[in-house]
Amino acid sequence: MRALLTGNGPSAKLIFPMLPRLITTALCGFAVANAVAEQPPATIDLSKFPAAAVEDVVVPVPSEIFIVLDKLGTPNWKGELRDHLGTNTGNRAQIALLLGTVIADGFIAVEAEDSEKVKQIGQEVLVLADGINVRKAVIARSKSITDKAEAKDWRAVRSELDGALQDVRGAMQELGDDELAQLVSLGGWIRGTQVLTSIVGQNYSPAGAELLNQPELLNYFARRIDEMRSRNLKKEELVVKVRKLLRDIKPIIGKDTITVENVQKVNKLTTDTVTAITSEDQ
Amino acid sequence: MNRRFLSLSPVRVLVALAVLCLTPLYATVDDALSFAHECAVPYVKQGFTIREDAWGGDLGVKDQKAVTAQLFKGNEYWFCMATDVKGAVINVHIYDSQGRLAESEAWQKGRFAAAKVVPRATGTYYAIVTIEKSPQERTHWALVYGYR
Repeated sequence: MRALLTGNGPSAKLIFPMLPRLITTALCGFAVANAVAEQPPATIDLSKFPAAAVEDVVVPVPSEIFIVLDKLGTPNWKGELRDHLGTNTGNRAQIALLLGTVIADGFIAVEAEDSEKVKQIGQEVLVLADGINVRKAVIARSKSITDKAEAKDWRAVRSELDGALQDVRGAMQELGDDELAQLVSLGGWIRGTQVLTSIVGQNYSPAGAELLNQPELLNYFARRIDEMRSRNLKKEELVVKVRKLLRDIKPIIGKDTITVENVQKVNKLTTDTVTAITSEDQ
Repeated sequence: MNRRFLSLSPVRVLVALAVLCLTPLYATVDDALSFAHECAVPYVKQGFTIREDAWGGDLGVKDQKAVTAQLFKGNEYWFCMATDVKGAVINVHIYDSQGRLAESEAWQKGRFAAAKVVPRATGTYYAIVTIEKSPQERTHWALVYGYR
């Protein structure tokens, strides 16, 4: 650079006045060439990816579906909220599933913009987390959920609920309870699917029903249960029920067109499972 | 001060050395994730909610990983990838379950890359992450996504 400048310091002048334009042109040309060179292929053969090079699906949070429902119509979110969030029976599998359903209710309360309900759910998350020894991991989140609900910062509440889910799962994995942690995600998915099918069932549209097209997610959950190392956990009545639910809805979810009858069928199946999770009879 | 903590038994020394050796590894993964969140900042300003869940790991040069994602028609998504390795070039592109390129936008700038997808259908999608160049044998990467 120094060779192209006369003199030293800030008063130096360019020998070639055209140089900036030339450099700009050259850089633009390079950038275009670079962009062309990096054009990704229009199609790829996914079957060529070895299993080890494919990462498991990330479980979507209920709000990813709920905001689509909001765009499709005006769902009655308050009507989907439950007065009674469920009873902690002391059974760890039940608590994990219940915790997932309660966090999903948090997302419903956000859609309903019901700050009192969100705050109640924040407290309930703390109580249930205590039941599986991960209270410490969610204390800060619980407070943050309450604060942000108070401020009606709904996007921040969504993030905090997502964070609470990750913190609970992370803390459980640290305790060696990773299989139990999976049940938290499952609980959330089941309750989210119950609400999705309730709303779409009330005001059916193919676009709404298409949101149920989640075959890989279903396979993932089924695999997680089938590969559980803990035989006791696998044999838990609720876990067996959840596995049956996944088996029953697999032929329905994953089709291009999901009829209103099938939406209602999934709603009945998920409602029965949520009832079993929240019941005192476990 | 806790005296027990100060006693230097051979086992404690080994544990301490192991911790010291492992620390940079964890720091690197965490750093890649921090950069991925940094990459997502402009999209947060545009109203995207970034998921707390993230993918990550390490790959060799020209190695690829397919990250599975369930996406919903009606949403828009940005996938943001980063590495903490200075001088590395990475990229991410989104394909549908049939292996067709599904993204509507993508960009790549050194240690950052991102791709946007507006799904034509609800279903399974794949984010293909690649380490194009790197001064290191293994390059840590992290990927986050946001929805709106």
